[in-house]
Amino acid sequence: GTETIVTGSLDDMVKVWKWSDEKLELQWTLEGHQLGVVSVDISHNGAIAASSSLDAHIRLWDLESGKQIKSMDAGPVDAWSVAFSPDSKHIATGSHLGKVNIFGVESGKKEYSLDTRGKFILSIAYSPDGKYLASGAIDGIINIFDIATGKLLHTLEGHAMPIRSLTFSPDSQLLVTASDDGYIKIYDVQHANLAGTLSGHGSWVLNVAFSPDDTHFVSSSSDKSVKVWDAGSRACINTFFDHQDQVWSVKYNSTGSKIISAGDDRAIHIYDCPM
Amino acid sequence: MASFGWKRKAGEKVSKTAVQHFEAEAEKTEADASNREEEADWLYAIKRRREVLMEDCAAKSKRLKDEGAQLAEQGRHWEAIKKWDEAIHLTPDNPALYEMKSQVLSILQEVFPAVKAAEMAVKFRPLWWEGWQTLGRAQLNLGEVDLAVRSFQVAVHLCPSESTLWQEDLAWACRLQKQHLATKEKVRQEEEAKKQILNAPELEQDYDFESEEVLAACEAVAERQMRYEELRKTAVVIDAEGNIKNVVTREGASLNTANPSKEQFTKARGI
Repeated sequence: GTETIVTGSLDDMVKVWKWSDEKLELQWTLEGHQLGVVSVDISHNGAIAASSSLDAHIRLWDLESGKQIKSMDAGPVDAWSVAFSPDSKHIATGSHLGKVNIFGVESGKKEYSLDTRGKFILSIAYSPDGKYLASGAIDGIINIFDIATGKLLHTLEGHAMPIRSLTFSPDSQLLVTASDDGYIKIYDVQHANLAGTLSGHGSWVLNVAFSPDDTHFVSSSSDKSVKVWDAGSRACINTFFDHQDQVWSVKYNSTGSKIISAGDDRAIHIYDCPM
Repeated sequence: MASFGWKRKAGEKVSKTAVQHFEAEAEKTEADASNREEEADWLYAIKRRREVLMEDCAAKSKRLKDEGAQLAEQGRHWEAIKKWDEAIHLTPDNPALYEMKSQVLSILQEVFPAVKAAEMAVKFRPLWWEGWQTLGRAQLNLGEVDLAVRSFQVAVHLCPSESTLWQEDLAWACRLQKQHLATKEKVRQEEEAKKQILNAPELEQDYDFESEEVLAACEAVAERQMRYEELRKTAVVIDAEGNIKNVVTREGASLNTANPSKEQFTKARGI
């Protein structure tokens, strides 16, 4: 099949790529951001892409037409990573004052916010069942909110260093976090228990992503590697050294047959996974 | 015919201090060796000596670094750089030394060496935001605004909670970038106006010198020249809110646009 890939870069470009017949083709170059793109996400139905930049603007793009749908000014330093809610109706972004701001995709406005009372939020994740929202802060603190009530459920002192990425497992039972301390931690969401600490990366862990079938997750790091982990045994089962520089981002496709990574070496790598 | 050869000096690339150090060490070990028993474990001794030497280098480099930092704080910048250069000889991959050297070179207006030094710092420690900040500042002093913005962007990505990066470095560099763009645009306009004067469309047609047409053409040319003069008299200015304006300056006023008179303080970096 065809896959859609969205990338953002320091030169303000958001690019949309099509992967079909084992070939990567540039479909759209979306311009408008300033000061470099920080984060991109794609809605779960694949119709809309969201991107944020250092000038604190969040932009929504129609992937069919390649046109900008909306531009939202989040206020100074108030947009870092962006994440679509599972129903694609909202976008969550962390702010420097420790608030998670929720924007409406339809309204293009800030609808409400969740306060962690903590520090700069670097990473955000919705649980696939739509019940929880987790945020990771620059001081290594993890917060988990109940979305329905807006209540802060758990505050975990996960790492002593910035958490650049976190992700829920597809069954929403586990939360995996990646930190500058080089460790990956796994939490049981319901009981807020630490279920495991994984080491293996030689530098900052920049991104983590779960496979859609719950069996594996993948991590990328400043040590230029991409590692695939078995979710059951928590062992690293493969390491890719294809990048020449830090690997900022890594993701599975929707079927779990492929992994994609993007790095500071301006390269996009696509890996086949045994199914 | 005299044969040609490159001039070559023995030990040209070896620092004097290193040579002295080496010679002193050699003498010492010779003396040591003569006292030692004959069945000494040479392999072990060599290995051990190398370890000692490396520890020695690190300790000495640290001392030189601290001495340099003290000198820099007293404003004795060149002396500080000399100390750090010696330290760099001992530990050539220590990013803190290059970074501090870059800051002081910037103070001394040695803009290009400052960029070079900061580049070494980020090469050896690419995840260190302060290295990128120093590189950006050095690039700004060199007039490389676009490169500076990029360096500050990298620094912000590494440490987004650092407010000086946002409020001072990135904001300032972006203002300069805007100004550069505006200045470029103005130069383009000026060139355009000048070209129009030289190749005025009015001159391309023949005139009946008795008619009103000649007068109209002369007026048009004169007006164009006026506009050019006015353009030349204006300067691009950016106000505090970052809005770009073209302001008429006095005749002969200097167009001093990109000159940040920001004194930067040297900060000793811990390793």
